[in-house]
Amino acid sequence: MNFDAYTIVYILEILVGGLLVGIGVHFVPVGGAPAAMAQAAGIGTGTVQLAAGSGLTGLLAAGLMMSVTDNIWIILASGAVGAGIMIGSTMLTGSWIYAYAVGAPFASAKVNYDPITGFSQPPYVAPGTVGQGIPTICFVSGLIGGMMGGLGGAMIYYPLYLINGNAALSAMFAIGIFLVNAVIASWNIQGTIEGFHDPKFKKWPFAFRACAIASILLALASVLITGGA
Amino acid sequence: MDAFSMGLVAAMGALATVAGASEDIESDVGSQSNPNSQVQLAAQVGNPHRIYNKAISGEPPANALWCATAAMVAYTLITAFQMPALMALVAGASVAALFNGVFSMSAYFGRNSSQARFNQWVYLDIVRYTTPSIMAHAWITSFCIATISYIMVYMLPTPHPFPMPIIALIWGLAVGAIGSSVGDIHYGGEREFQNRQFGCGLNTMLSGQIVRKAEAGLRNSIDNAWFCTKFGGPATGMGFGLTVFLDNWRTTVFDPVTQASYAILMGVFFIIVEVAYNFYIERSARRKYGAYPEYKGDIAA
Repeated sequence: MNFDAYTIVYILEILVGGLLVGIGVHFVPVGGAPAAMAQAAGIGTGTVQLAAGSGLTGLLAAGLMMSVTDNIWIILASGAVGAGIMIGSTMLTGSWIYAYAVGAPFASAKVNYDPITGFSQPPYVAPGTVGQGIPTICFVSGLIGGMMGGLGGAMIYYPLYLINGNAALSAMFAIGIFLVNAVIASWNIQGTIEGFHDPKFKKWPFAFRACAIASILLALASVLITGGA
Repeated sequence: MDAFSMGLVAAMGALATVAGASEDIESDVGSQSNPNSQVQLAAQVGNPHRIYNKAISGEPPANALWCATAAMVAYTLITAFQMPALMALVAGASVAALFNGVFSMSAYFGRNSSQARFNQWVYLDIVRYTTPSIMAHAWITSFCIATISYIMVYMLPTPHPFPMPIIALIWGLAVGAIGSSVGDIHYGGEREFQNRQFGCGLNTMLSGQIVRKAEAGLRNSIDNAWFCTKFGGPATGMGFGLTVFLDNWRTTVFDPVTQASYAILMGVFFIIVEVAYNFYIERSARRKYGAYPEYKGDIAA
């Protein structure tokens, strides 16, 4: 392959994509196993799993768009919106269960007032728990995180497809780079986070640095592969 | 857009709804994912039980494996052996269900025999009549998702560039993520702990105190599936159905070549509607249920 100015641009695009995924994971309100028992606010699953589910749905949308156009803005926006639809539908149907099956009002134990709606939170936190359900602040934060994941996935896929012209190979590499960055970010989160209002969110610079190093290494490896499969 | 492709998108939405529902019931019959932490804990805090215990992995990677296996077998049969698509998809789903059965049984034997010191038994009758039910649900999930991938690659007017197994892998990850975020709350937040006060999350003090008695006799995982089919499963199906339908509807109604920006704006519109609907649910739940009576003024969070 020729190592020219375009290659550096491709590497930078993969780097930015990886960083978007790594930071986006911090926005997704994941309560882990406690949230599945309505013991913690947020979505009742693991960080990587939800980020991968939404971000890769965005990758599907971006891949479809890339097969018909080469306008990068449309491809990136399509990835972000596809991921946003997936995570929005997930949180919405999760809210049905919290409201109509568990029968609990939504509350976060990390803030006294929801910064968006202004609703007071502590009176609605059940005894022995740290909140439950998906309050508006968590919902909005989750949408931002999911859409950043979709944007990042599309941003990784775009240069890879331009290099090797093979949709399947690029998609597998994008899934791999996506998962590496999501896992690094979830180590930084240590299990649960409620979104950008959570005190844990302030730790994002650590993940930023780690994801930058990992993404650079992965980008260097992936731009060298120009065909095959 | 023509009527045929709109019908295909509708069929994909219906298949996705069925796949989501059966995925959640599969994880409830087998007790997988997050609520299984309580099933696992129960024996250790002195509550041996007759609930199936198969946490093979998180739901998303597990379902990605079943669906990618089904799609890969179907893709091979279609391309290399020119088999009719429907039969190939059925064969693929059957292989995936066999994989699922092997993993489920080894997980059940391994997990329960490792808890022998807590007086937890390995019940062979549970293995005999619960495993086929788990496999059947895995069959439905992987068949539906492999069919969705087939439609996306071979039948839609704008065929997807990814090959079938990768699309099935991604949809399998997505259906697992939705099942573990939506349906599991009904199983973990409600069904496992019906012995405590209704209308609140699980108090940390009650961890591991799962319900072990059924309406008649001892509770097993088939009873749990019966309960979760009433709401958790269909809600998961709605979540996944909405994802697949809305995502494909906007690129089918608006031609991605000439009207891509309309397709994106339509997606943004769907997202705004979802935010508004969630806000409505939050507000009505707060108004109807009210604050907890135990609340005694502001406490440190």
